[in-house]
Amino acid sequence: MSSFMLRRRASRGGSWQLLCPNPEAKSRFFPNLLFSTLSESQHRNVNQPSNPQNLRNPIERRNILDSGISSFSHNTSKTPSGSLQNPTFSSSIFVSGSKPLALSSGNAASGKNISGCGVLGLPTVKSLYSGRGRFGLVCLFGTQAAVEPSTCDGLTVDRIIASEWPILDEYESDWKSHAAAIAQSIHLIKKRLQWKKLLVRLDMLSAEVNKPDLWNDPVHAGKISREHGSLLGKMKEVQTFERELLEHVDMVKLAREENDTELESESMNALLNMRRTSKEKEIEALLAGEQDPCSCYIEVQAGAGGTESNDWAAMVMQMYKMWAQRRGYNMTLVDEMPGEIAGIKRATIKVDGEYAFGYAKAEVGVHRLVRISPFDSNKRRHTSFAAVAVTPILGDASEHVQINESDLRIERFRSGGAGGQHANTTDSAVRIVHIPTGITATCQNERSQHQNKASAMAVIQSRVDQLEMARQNKMNAQYSQSLTDITWGSQIRSYVLQPYRMVKDLRTNYEVSDPDSVLEGDLDGFILSYLSACLDKDEDDN
Amino acid sequence: MKLSFSPRLSPFLMPSLFTNLHRSVCSASSIPPPPTTPKPQTPLFLRPPTHSATTSDLQKWHDWANTLASSVGSTFVDLDNGPDSTLLRRELKWLMEDAIEETKNVDNNDGSVRLRVEIEELYMLWKQRVEERRPFQYVVGCEHWRDLVLCVEEGVLIPRPETELIVDLVGDAVLGNEGLREGLWADLGTGSGAIAIGIARVLGSGGRVIATDLSPTAVGVAAFNVQRYGLQDIVELRQGSWFGPLKDVEGKLSGFVSNPPYIPSDNIAGLQAEVGRHEPRVALDGGVNGMDDLLHLCKGAAFMLKPGGFFAFETNGEEQCKYLVEYMENDAGGSFCNLNIVADFAGINRFVTGFRR
Ligand SMILES: C[S@@+](CC[C@H](N)C(=O)[O-])C[C@H]1O[C@@H](n2cnc3c(N)ncnc32)[C@H](O)[C@@H]1O
Repeated sequence: MSSFMLRRRASRGGSWQLLCPNPEAKSRFFPNLLFSTLSESQHRNVNQPSNPQNLRNPIERRNILDSGISSFSHNTSKTPSGSLQNPTFSSSIFVSGSKPLALSSGNAASGKNISGCGVLGLPTVKSLYSGRGRFGLVCLFGTQAAVEPSTCDGLTVDRIIASEWPILDEYESDWKSHAAAIAQSIHLIKKRLQWKKLLVRLDMLSAEVNKPDLWNDPVHAGKISREHGSLLGKMKEVQTFERELLEHVDMVKLAREENDTELESESMNALLNMRRTSKEKEIEALLAGEQDPCSCYIEVQAGAGGTESNDWAAMVMQMYKMWAQRRGYNMTLVDEMPGEIAGIKRATIKVDGEYAFGYAKAEVGVHRLVRISPFDSNKRRHTSFAAVAVTPILGDASEHVQINESDLRIERFRSGGAGGQHANTTDSAVRIVHIPTGITATCQNERSQHQNKASAMAVIQSRVDQLEMARQNKMNAQYSQSLTDITWGSQIRSYVLQPYRMVKDLRTNYEVSDPDSVLEGDLDGFILSYLSACLDKDEDDN
Repeated sequence: MKLSFSPRLSPFLMPSLFTNLHRSVCSASSIPPPPTTPKPQTPLFLRPPTHSATTSDLQKWHDWANTLASSVGSTFVDLDNGPDSTLLRRELKWLMEDAIEETKNVDNNDGSVRLRVEIEELYMLWKQRVEERRPFQYVVGCEHWRDLVLCVEEGVLIPRPETELIVDLVGDAVLGNEGLREGLWADLGTGSGAIAIGIARVLGSGGRVIATDLSPTAVGVAAFNVQRYGLQDIVELRQGSWFGPLKDVEGKLSGFVSNPPYIPSDNIAGLQAEVGRHEPRVALDGGVNGMDDLLHLCKGAAFMLKPGGFFAFETNGEEQCKYLVEYMENDAGGSFCNLNIVADFAGINRFVTGFRR
């Protein structure tokens, strides 16, 4: 296990690898064999000054680890002994802090506490280093090199998949089943990340980043190096995960060979934890788009049909408000145009939080309601429509499209009369029109005109940015539809309250028989099934 | 309305009765507002949340208030272009924001909410709002204006959204003109101090603003607002009629702005109830054609501004704008240049700007 620590420590620079004794494997998988002295010094640290197994006190043992090898385990040594957990370790490897957690509560436990890694690592150190001296360490630089990681006997993720080992329930302690499940996840994750495209793009970006004149254009340079960093991070995360799997497989085999039951159960546990974490990673991979981490605006507009439609639009808006609340997002009303009798004609909310756009973009389109209208005294069944548009809010001002003041028309909304000193009103709604694109935004919810204008301007900015991204093909066109683009025929979901009860997504056929829960914001099932359907459908990308 | 001060007299001949209140620009920071100014009331949102009510009582109040708001329909709109139910309901939301400590936690575990006023007073306040047409801003004691929250009370004009633009106009004028940015400015008839505070923030630490008003209540409230934004070192308040308190800075101003009373006297009776019944007439009535104070200020501008100095006035609209520009072009002896008429967001020609030659 300490090999993980070692690799972990160095992962910011090069990456540490377990080195197989097989010379063939060595040259095949680790062409950049460097720093052989390092592996010697590790030998000395671990084996020579004291034999860790002779130390009775676990703290003492860990201190040796601290001093010699692992910087990550600083944290470990502060943890009370006994049930040792290492949040730093687990969270940094498996769950990067800013990534969304799994939506379904079932996964919540995984990734957070991978217990046992720290303490139990020691015997492993022994078996790996002092056992037969057949493992060494190597530091691999140039992480971009497309090295396919493998176990000592040449097993790769692809080969694990090809072996078609049966995948059993989690509680079955069968390493092959765990390994097969994890391998499949890795395969899916790669597909969702559009792995090949990602590697090509990363190559291109690396070349850009290395150009000596890159920073002559700081804005461009910022963009390039940000994207490079983000893609590199994604790639490394998957590769780390992949190597992790293979190392555990190695260790299970080794443990069996040596009849080391402790090591075997420990490795089995590690595999099980990986298996759970991999489900989270699958979800994270659904949200790998450049704008996915952004906050966003959600806009709802009622279709034709008066009060019944307006009421439906209000229900849809309420559904998103509650969804945002469930997800822990901050929600603010930007603009709302009430219907004459009930509901809304149109409304815009701002949803602040990580991955708000990534999820909400799945909602773009027309939502249809069938019910007996409470507004119809004859109790007839009505079909109503509401259109939804979603706009990401780019966090980085340098990526904004420059908007010329002269391209804007700013109007007081609902003004009348002489104004100025004649009028006292708390209504300072402002409408801004971006003349070249015809994009319009209204804000009436702030208490000053200045701030209504600023809010409306922020909406305009985001829409203009979105339009530009769509133009540059940086965003899937279907997500960037504005309300005016959305044709009422393009329904994405149908909500039936009478004569039967059902909500069905017309894109994925995902359906739920409890409309109330959906209208109360339980949308994640719909969102995830749609996102995975989109990403998983085009085969052969991996 | 003009009390003892007739702006039609040349102010430069008229000794100011308030000379004893004048302070020099530099020494403004440490001296409290003149003792004659009354202490301003504390707006709702700044009061401590020392009262409490049960959620159900609050809910009851809210339902009652909502029903009252709804009962208005469009009556006030039809009557005098007053607020409709939708607007009143939004105000109700803001009243809750100001009166309740953290609206978000309305449903605390113990079922009670902390309030900045007694719940009985909430009933009273909302009754005043709807039945007496007391302006919402007086009810809560503040007006959100630009990015500021300004305290207001009876006796002080509630700053208008249109007027926010004067600050932008000043911002444009000082852009790339350090001479103006670092100079001395004046806001005459400052009311709550809105424009003075707005431009002080645009000018930054290099600028100075003298803000005056005839009304002691206004000077007191403006001083409070200046203090709240920590601008005592930049904005100095003086009480007096128009140029009366500015003798010491004649010909030294880099900029001069004002939103003086401009409503023709005849129109006062027909004003929207919130304005006509509750706001101070001295802040609104501009004489027979509404131009008395504007013309007076125009004349003074030639006197007060140094060459290259900038001015901006708010007016009643197209007619007054044209009149002023014509006056400045023809009668002001070529003292001004780059005269410009600027519309507000409702499309009404609202402001006249220009420079001293
Ligand atoms: C329309 S209000 C403007 C207030 C503030 N500047 C604003 O924009 O909100 C006009 C102001 O001029 C003040 N005023 C009226 N006559 C005055 C005079 N003779 N000298 C100085 N100020 C006067 C009033 O007290 C009032 O505060």
